[in-house]
Amino acid sequence: MKKILIANRGEIAVRVIRACRDMGIATAAVYSECDRAALHVRFADEAWPVGPSAPRESYLRIDAIVDAARKAGADGVHPGYGFLAENEDFAAACRDAGLTFIGPTPEAIALMGSKTAARQAAIKAGVPVVPGTDEPLSDRATDDEVRKVAERIGYPLMLKAVAGGGGKGMRMVAAPADLPGALRAARSEAQSAFGDGAVYLERRIMSPRHIEVQLLGDHHGTVVPFVERECSIQRRHQKVVEESPSLAVSPELRRRMTDAAASVAKAVGYTNAGTIEFLLDEDGSFYFLEMNTRLQVEHPITEMVTGVDLVRWQIRIARGERLDLNPQELLHPKAHAIECRIYAEDPDNGFMPSPGRIQGLRVPQGPGVRDDSGAYEGGEVPIFYDPMISKLITWGDTREHAMQRMRRALAEYQVRGIRTTIPFFQWILEDSDFIAGRFDTGFIDRKLGGNAAGGGRKEHSPLQPIDASHEDLAAIAAAVHIFTKPVANGVAAPAVSRWRDAGRTEAMR
Amino acid sequence: MIFEIAIGDRLRTVGIVRKGGLLHVDLDGRTHIVDARRVSDSIVSMLVQLDGAAGPSRSVDAAFASQQVAGDFDVHLEGKTIPVQIRPAGSFGRQKKAGPGAAASGPQRVTSPMPGKVVRVLVKPGDHVKARQGLVVVEAMKMENELRAARDGRVRDVAVAEGQSVDAGASLLVVE
Repeated sequence: MKKILIANRGEIAVRVIRACRDMGIATAAVYSECDRAALHVRFADEAWPVGPSAPRESYLRIDAIVDAARKAGADGVHPGYGFLAENEDFAAACRDAGLTFIGPTPEAIALMGSKTAARQAAIKAGVPVVPGTDEPLSDRATDDEVRKVAERIGYPLMLKAVAGGGGKGMRMVAAPADLPGALRAARSEAQSAFGDGAVYLERRIMSPRHIEVQLLGDHHGTVVPFVERECSIQRRHQKVVEESPSLAVSPELRRRMTDAAASVAKAVGYTNAGTIEFLLDEDGSFYFLEMNTRLQVEHPITEMVTGVDLVRWQIRIARGERLDLNPQELLHPKAHAIECRIYAEDPDNGFMPSPGRIQGLRVPQGPGVRDDSGAYEGGEVPIFYDPMISKLITWGDTREHAMQRMRRALAEYQVRGIRTTIPFFQWILEDSDFIAGRFDTGFIDRKLGGNAAGGGRKEHSPLQPIDASHEDLAAIAAAVHIFTKPVANGVAAPAVSRWRDAGRTEAMR
Repeated sequence: MIFEIAIGDRLRTVGIVRKGGLLHVDLDGRTHIVDARRVSDSIVSMLVQLDGAAGPSRSVDAAFASQQVAGDFDVHLEGKTIPVQIRPAGSFGRQKKAGPGAAASGPQRVTSPMPGKVVRVLVKPGDHVKARQGLVVVEAMKMENELRAARDGRVRDVAVAEGQSVDAGASLLVVE
């Protein structure tokens, strides 16, 4: 492989470019109109426009991206995550165009992309699944038919879109009376998000942890699982903090879960990077949830605890190399790692998106810190895409050590001009339940339920308590800043008169 | 020079003068001595002797980000982000006797905080709404965002319909 086209944007495109550069492989980026000056474009060896800013007209256009790869003379395509990463038509289009798709086969993507087919595959491999329907319930199934199925499974239960992902088309149903409404909502959401209104039912596990197992599979029949990732800290069904290893997984449970994950992957002849997600019940039993047939957002924590560069291995596997990692070492973490996903959202204002220009950026550094980012000072965070701007990863000898470094790194991290979720993570890292490892997937909803879940403009939410001494320092700093502001071109800065105008306007209102 | 500074719901008066190479900052009747070095247009390194103490100086690195309104900005220091409004003396006092926190009287004009699409309008003209009740749902950055009432009131001037695209700052409706 001489040149790889990266069919993605933002931090993951930058991450893949770095792996390519390490291997002496040339890189081609693609970009939409608003991304012309994005970091991944500036980082790549070459860049090709693929359309207007709306994802459907650019990053989701299979024809435009395959065409760009052809024009660039690329021989490989890395899809990153999101966008077309789990689209079997895209993987097939690459193959048909003679391009190596750096990921699983279109057949594996299609099989594991259907939640009910994936459940079947897990059952066949002897891996437990959450009790539920084996066949999808089509749009035409009547309320009565669904109710009968629901009775067999038992309440409370989860309604999920067969084609689902990211929490869309998912509803909790507490009692039979809620079923018809939830069914309508889940179907219409699934129809508009995935173009497929089929749903299925699963028993609701009451306080589960979300534990997942990273895998690599080569084209010679070898599949290796990695030490688990703990991803229970979620907001709106989206992971926000991940760590590895999990406090809830003993070496013995690790052996069973990683064996189960590997046997599912082997049963479907899986190749390249993938992840098996499990729900871990309080009683220690675990259930197959789904398989993600791509590189995950949270892959860096696995890299930091095992020392394996997963993107490098994706490329090596795609060009036919044999996996020669020592499987035993992959199950013995050398460190503890934590990741916080930094979003351009205002946690003090109901997590409202906060797009705009980054006026200033100070990235944390020093021992045990990694920042995978698509942001830069002066750069714009556009409104069209997922608002994640970077991932902050820290690691240390112990969980305590990794948490200390995360607190330090979060305090060093300054993203000025837009609001970010950094204060939210500072709050989580001070929470006694988080520190003790007492949590499940309902952690954030429970914690936020009482105070900051509501919108409304609040300068100081309970998320970010500002003590009197910091208020004093902020007041001093503001006065010093204005008082010593540099004079532009020998003329006094116009700012003061502008406030005076503002003051007058306010006074006259 | 004298400023008024609003932080959260507190309004305070701050005086600042240069004495030799140092700045003397008066805050609530106490004087803090600051050795300030400008690192860039938007970053100042301060060594602060709080309350004029002769003891060791606290090193505070302060960085600033301007907001849309002149004189409003975020102060980033010691790992915290603190929104601040600073005006020349007297600007706030005439209008906001109890500080900006009391500014919840008069009609609330609900505007879209970002460009996006209106996915749901939850109220109609004449509806009585409670503080924090959802009014309009705007979708942007793949997320649905519910805009809520700042206080109790009655809805009028609903200017948007479901499915409509809106710019940042577009007026959506008024609660009075």
